[in-house]
Amino acid sequence: MDKKYGVFICTGCGIGDALIMDELCEVPEEEGFPVKTHPVLCSKEGVDLIKKDISDDGVNTLIIAGCSRRINYDIFKFDGCIVDRVNLREQVVWTHPRSEYPALTEDQKDDEEHFDSLQMMAEDYLKMSMAKVEKIDLPEPFLLESITKKILVIGGGITGISAALDASLAGYSVTIVEKESSLGGFASKVRKQIPVCEPYDDLIPPVIESMIQRVEDDSNITVKTGTLVARIAGQPGEFTVTLKKPGETVPFDVPFPLPDEMKVDENGKDLDVEKLQERYLEYNKGKEDILTLDPDGELFGAVILAAGWRPDELESGVASHLGYGTNPDVVTNVQFEKIAKEGKIVRPSDGKEAKSVVFVQSPGKSDDDSDFSYTGSVTSLVALKQAKYVCEDYEDGKAYVIYQHMRTPGLSENFYKGLQQTDGIFLTKGEVVNVSTGGGSLLVEADNTLLGEQIQIKADMVVLASGMVPVTADDPVVNLAYRQGPGFRDNKLFDDYADSNFICFPYETQRTGIYAAGTIRRGMTMEESIEDASGAALKAIQCVESVNRGVAVHPRSGDMTFPDFFFQRCTQCKRCTEECPFGALDDDEKGTPKPNPTRCRRCGTCMGACPERIIGFADYNVDSVGSMVKAIGVPSEDDYEEPPMRILCLLCENDAYPALDITGLNRLNYSADVRFIPVRCLGSVNVIWIKDALAQGMDGVFLMGCKHGDDYQCHFVKGSELAEIRMQKIGEALSSLALEEERVAQYEVAIDDYDKIPQIINKFAEVIEGLGPNPFKGF
Amino acid sequence: MTQRCLVEPDVDFVKQIVGLGGETLKKCFQCATCSVVCPISPDNKPFPRKEMMAASWGLKDRLVKNGDIWLCHQCGDCSTLCPRGARPGDVLSAVRSYAISEYALSKRIGEAVNNPKKLHILLGIPTALFAVLAFITVFCGGTMSSIFHAIGLEWSHGGHDGVIAHADFISTWFVDLVFVPLALWVIINFLLGLKRFIVDIHENAVLEGKTDKEDLNIKKMIQALIKVIPAILRHDKFSQCSENKDREISHMMVLYSFIGLFVVTNIFFFVLYVFHIPGPYSQLNPVKWLANISGIFLVIGGGLMIKSRLSKTDQTTVYKDWYLLGLVLGLGITGLLSEMTRMAGLAGVTYGVYLIHLVLVFNLFAFLPYSKLAHVVYRTVALTYAEYGNRK
Repeated sequence: MDKKYGVFICTGCGIGDALIMDELCEVPEEEGFPVKTHPVLCSKEGVDLIKKDISDDGVNTLIIAGCSRRINYDIFKFDGCIVDRVNLREQVVWTHPRSEYPALTEDQKDDEEHFDSLQMMAEDYLKMSMAKVEKIDLPEPFLLESITKKILVIGGGITGISAALDASLAGYSVTIVEKESSLGGFASKVRKQIPVCEPYDDLIPPVIESMIQRVEDDSNITVKTGTLVARIAGQPGEFTVTLKKPGETVPFDVPFPLPDEMKVDENGKDLDVEKLQERYLEYNKGKEDILTLDPDGELFGAVILAAGWRPDELESGVASHLGYGTNPDVVTNVQFEKIAKEGKIVRPSDGKEAKSVVFVQSPGKSDDDSDFSYTGSVTSLVALKQAKYVCEDYEDGKAYVIYQHMRTPGLSENFYKGLQQTDGIFLTKGEVVNVSTGGGSLLVEADNTLLGEQIQIKADMVVLASGMVPVTADDPVVNLAYRQGPGFRDNKLFDDYADSNFICFPYETQRTGIYAAGTIRRGMTMEESIEDASGAALKAIQCVESVNRGVAVHPRSGDMTFPDFFFQRCTQCKRCTEECPFGALDDDEKGTPKPNPTRCRRCGTCMGACPERIIGFADYNVDSVGSMVKAIGVPSEDDYEEPPMRILCLLCENDAYPALDITGLNRLNYSADVRFIPVRCLGSVNVIWIKDALAQGMDGVFLMGCKHGDDYQCHFVKGSELAEIRMQKIGEALSSLALEEERVAQYEVAIDDYDKIPQIINKFAEVIEGLGPNPFKGF
Repeated sequence: MTQRCLVEPDVDFVKQIVGLGGETLKKCFQCATCSVVCPISPDNKPFPRKEMMAASWGLKDRLVKNGDIWLCHQCGDCSTLCPRGARPGDVLSAVRSYAISEYALSKRIGEAVNNPKKLHILLGIPTALFAVLAFITVFCGGTMSSIFHAIGLEWSHGGHDGVIAHADFISTWFVDLVFVPLALWVIINFLLGLKRFIVDIHENAVLEGKTDKEDLNIKKMIQALIKVIPAILRHDKFSQCSENKDREISHMMVLYSFIGLFVVTNIFFFVLYVFHIPGPYSQLNPVKWLANISGIFLVIGGGLMIKSRLSKTDQTTVYKDWYLLGLVLGLGITGLLSEMTRMAGLAGVTYGVYLIHLVLVFNLFAFLPYSKLAHVVYRTVALTYAEYGNRK
């Protein structure tokens, strides 16, 4: 593309008042960039001015200087044009008032003592933008040769069925695979269920039957029962899926990566590449390599993982003091449901009527008041539901629920209120300490109840609240033919629930195109599962439609760029394959990465990782950012007696950039010595930028991005964490250059930390002031 | 270490409390707002939170034998502020009704008093009785006179020249021969009930750690009673209520009018049988003033109570409440009416009203240990015990 440049500077919102516009316009003009100003560039006249240049003069590469790029992005969007926005408003004039940074008087100009910080900053940002637009291209979408929009649903329980029905209603073909011989899952194994509709105050008959009927009547939905997923290979839009019968071994069973203990020799030393490969092949003997596609495989566009849960097995010791495992009349809630489904509630030991049942929600006898593992609101609600069974079956039935926590969130409070009204249901907080047998019945002992310090209750049966363990705890289930492994990473962080970002992006997993729904994400009622299924179905649809248009799904929805590799210079170091948070890259036996663009989320972590700097995006690459760094003016003692410091900040676009904008909106001030360059994710920061900045005499560099760790806020899961690791390494390199490690830092901010940002910036600037100027300045 | 206590809910008890106006009892979720807002609940083991728990678990013994249920004056603050609509005040009121029938002799009478379908029996029996007595008085005066003369007593207490006297319709002998034994029966009934009641509430207080006394000392109990009575007369507890403050006045009016009428009845009983001066007495007589003022207070107080119950639609009012309120107002109205019609010279009317009045008095007396009015005894004793047991 032949670039024809045009610079448009808005003088509204205080920009024109604070800056000396004539001098500012000279900056691009000197480089041969035509410049125009307008008092309200976002107005119709302003936009028309730009459009006129596009149509009349063929301008196609625009630099628009004014407000933040996060504002008016729809107004300053011109088809077929590269548009770069320079944030003169939030980052320059609103945060650096003239009262603090006065303009120079005539005498002060060129006296080599005074300088106009504000004007310098605006000029720098314009220069950075000019450097950038020279280096970037208009993105072209990555389009698959052929795409399928079919959706695979793993799991034929209430979640899978709901997801399939929703996707089918939206016009997509769906295949449900269910490992059992019939659809329905646990929803078809209950006598009655917790309500799914108004008024939410009583048990309702199971809803699953009618849903199964709808699936059977739906020509868009294919059901495969008695079927498992052996492997999912490929990428969204063209997943190649191999299905198999339970227990079967097939060549397309997914290979597993070597466990850590097999990666070392007898002496604990790391094995070399060839040896590793040999062991890997041995370990996965009989299985096809991940890059081999099953010729008989079925193609799917996206996958919904709704494999559900299994009851917690209450491992020995947890409930032995409650008679579990020794007394047949002490059962779990799942076992109790089975008894209730079969008929009247009777004791497993002798078949006698169980008219007095105690429901125990917490193991007791421990230092804390925690419930059984994997329990939550669902088990609370189930205890209420099953208590009602006792009163339904027997007029004089008595059901006791002893809990440490009674969790009935949202409208399920109505359920609690409704069930509480049953004369025979008795609720108390308490700690069940012992269950013993005596006189043909059980004696339940509880402490610290609402009825008194120590009570005992005679019961025919005791029911323990066993939790809902996601099946991903036992098995990857999705069996992805990805180099990083067949399951989701880091599931241990979430007690094995398949989850990537619980609050912000509930259905997203760490694998693009695979969306988790229902109890595989967390304990859920059937109502919640039905709703969750809709969310995951919509995500799956968004995925296939985005892939179809060659754009990113999430979180950079609609981003048309994708990482481009210059393979000739690849050293097969595998860093990109290993560091990609989403497993988007596979590698062949030599270690050359194989990109899967539709798996990619466009964070640029691979670009940050690559030591050869061969990975880049059309509009965001090592060169474009490096050029911006180099465009920053670094005044030295040749220019001024006491030159100002220059500090570079690489700023995460996701939360830090908006937070900085809010700092501007609130007119909070911070050091004028800092220049910001937005980055897609701190994970995309290539250390060369930092080295370049210091090499050209800048005095300090800091990164500002999302929180990392177990409770990370990084939109790309691992980006800020990887940046931290790289920062530590660069610290070592700096000391070898006799530069202080403190010149480089990384800060975590959240999107609402706008008020803390000035302190962070100013404090770093103070540290740099204390260290003094970069000794390389002026070289 | 205290004994582990076996908890055995009584579902039937729950149902009965629901039937007595405590239908909201299962709504409680133990937030204890009630105990916090209650103006008269003690700091140590405050009510009614624990009572609500016991009620929803059907723990009869913890409630019936619990002195705290009588410390409640049902001001309604807890019911108004309860976030779950569990109306602790109404539940305690229902529990008190249940406790009254538990401590009275003969539960069948207790059930009849609380059952609107049995009202015709409660009214019918005394009506028949007094009708027979009226018949004998009016038509068999001669025979009765000769019988009474035989044992040396004067039969007639009426019959001044041309003055209408109710004694001419139903002999005062008959009236007193009915009511004196009835009063004795009521006293015995209460004494027997109280004997169990005091032991029970003491036992419960010791068990729940609500008292610093280990045994019951009658002498100290009487000292406590003497301390408590002025507080009751002043309505000290009642006046702490914020929700139903207006009830304090009407309750005080009714209480004082009953005391006034009790005094009047005793004076005239004495005057009749010791000084042999039969009624009707002069309106100038100060005792008569007291009687009339009390009667007027009774009507106004009863009327105000009914008005307040009617205007407070959010407050539960059940049959037992209406029965008692009807009785109070009826007593006042028929009492005053029978006097007024007598003075107006309407013999037939005044006799009829007088008959109704006697039927109502009979109801008041005979069913006192069973009706809500029994609180006069149980609450007084419970307050006395609380004073004695240092319940604070």
